[in-house]
Amino acid sequence: MATWERVDGRARTRQAGGSLRSRGDQLLALVILLAIWQGLSFVYGTYWVGSPWGVATRLASSVLSGEILRHASYTLIEAVAGFLIGAIPAVGLPFALRRLPIVTAILDPFMVGGYGAPKLALAPLFILWFGIGIESKIALVAITVFFIVYFSALAGVRALDAKLVQMAQVMGANERDVARHIVFPGAVPYIFTGLRIAMPYSIGGAVIAELISANRGLGYLIQLSAMNFDTTGVFAALVATTCIVFMGNCSVDAAERRLLRWRPPPELNMQAGS
Amino acid sequence: MAVPPLLEVRDLSKRFATRAGRDPSSWVIQQLSFSVHDGEFLTIIGPSGSGKTTLLNMLAQIDSASDGEVRFQSVTAPINDPKALNPGLSCKIGYVTQEDNLLPWRTTLENVLFPLTVQGRLNEQTRARAQMLIGAVGLTGFEKHYPHELSGGMRKRASLIRTLVYDPPVILMDEPFGALDAQTRTQLQEDLLRLWNLGRKTIVFVTHDITEAIALGDRTLVLSKSPARIAGEHRNAIPRPRDIRGIMTHQDFPALYQSIRAQVQ
Repeated sequence: MATWERVDGRARTRQAGGSLRSRGDQLLALVILLAIWQGLSFVYGTYWVGSPWGVATRLASSVLSGEILRHASYTLIEAVAGFLIGAIPAVGLPFALRRLPIVTAILDPFMVGGYGAPKLALAPLFILWFGIGIESKIALVAITVFFIVYFSALAGVRALDAKLVQMAQVMGANERDVARHIVFPGAVPYIFTGLRIAMPYSIGGAVIAELISANRGLGYLIQLSAMNFDTTGVFAALVATTCIVFMGNCSVDAAERRLLRWRPPPELNMQAGS
Repeated sequence: MAVPPLLEVRDLSKRFATRAGRDPSSWVIQQLSFSVHDGEFLTIIGPSGSGKTTLLNMLAQIDSASDGEVRFQSVTAPINDPKALNPGLSCKIGYVTQEDNLLPWRTTLENVLFPLTVQGRLNEQTRARAQMLIGAVGLTGFEKHYPHELSGGMRKRASLIRTLVYDPPVILMDEPFGALDAQTRTQLQEDLLRLWNLGRKTIVFVTHDITEAIALGDRTLVLSKSPARIAGEHRNAIPRPRDIRGIMTHQDFPALYQSIRAQVQ
């Protein structure tokens, strides 16, 4: 037997080593941003710009009292429910339409229109239709997420490698096997791109719907604080919102790492193509 | 000759479908005829762009012919009707393509087991066969690696045994070792002959390398430049088992090489 070179999986370790250094730089950037924020609140006064320390103590006390968690969990439920209701059909539809190119073509201008329309402007309409309860917020999140994920899933289905399909058919794969073993796994990276973009929009959509009309949620908290000229309260709610987005990002990352283990690390892409 | 050939090609012609407002493309293959017998190792040699891949695609029923006849086990393939094709003819024709076409989201083992999975033939016996083949081509220890973690030669081995694992009676090979370095190629040729000796499948092996065509085949067909026709046929009586590395020193080699060389343009 000939000896052929062993392939080492050291690329990932290198990345991990690199991220340790970038973590330090990120920390430095955070300190600088906090310093700028502190500076602004000195210049304009805490009446207009709540100081970082003030925001932190406010956040801590409202976490302890459970108030912020009550609002945050409400917003989170809206975002998660809307995300699922929007994303699941958005992923399913391109697969269902894969064998129906004519239907896809008929739908296309409407989908492009739906994608381009400012969804946040629909919020008043949804409040009229679904009331000021949780339903109108979920609807707004769902429609925002749907169009983003639809187009990325569609791109994934279209990026299908015809040679892999032919190979599978020669080996005896039927239409269902092709969809399950080739089309879907091939589209997963594209779907993840869509989910990653849609995730902050789902939180943002929920918060904005609450700004317009609600009696709970982080958007409501922002609106209430602003009406009371309580900028520290506004900032505290914004920080809480950002934390949710950050957590959402981490969950997408974790899911992606698990589902896309097979993908070559970026710097090896050239080799993988040969 | 009482036994009909396993695979028969008669007056086969192919040109590709045209788009509106354009002249039809010229013939890629024209009036090509040959036959393959059961258990034969046939090598086909031809210059680049002579329609070798197109020919194999038609044999595997991935593509349909424009005219003529392709007959496998006395069943004729549909002509000019891509929708009626039956790729791989119910798993009886295996096809090792030029690119490895491994599924990037499946590990080596999962890729090798893929045909068995879709054919519903995954059991202890077939799993053991997969493991045996992985060992035979030296991929032991790489079962859990993804294709991007393997070298080009290893990917080729995986793609080769992925077809061998479900044991189709005929295997088509399209320059499977073309993109490899000489050392790895010789190694893979030896592996292939060793595996072939175990089962004596029918193999149709396309290449542009004359030495490879002589080293592997029982018979070599030479294709002309496009449109492809048979430019020559050479029986190869070099006894088996063959020594791939020393094939050039065999007494029959120079004459065979010269006569093939004269026909390959």
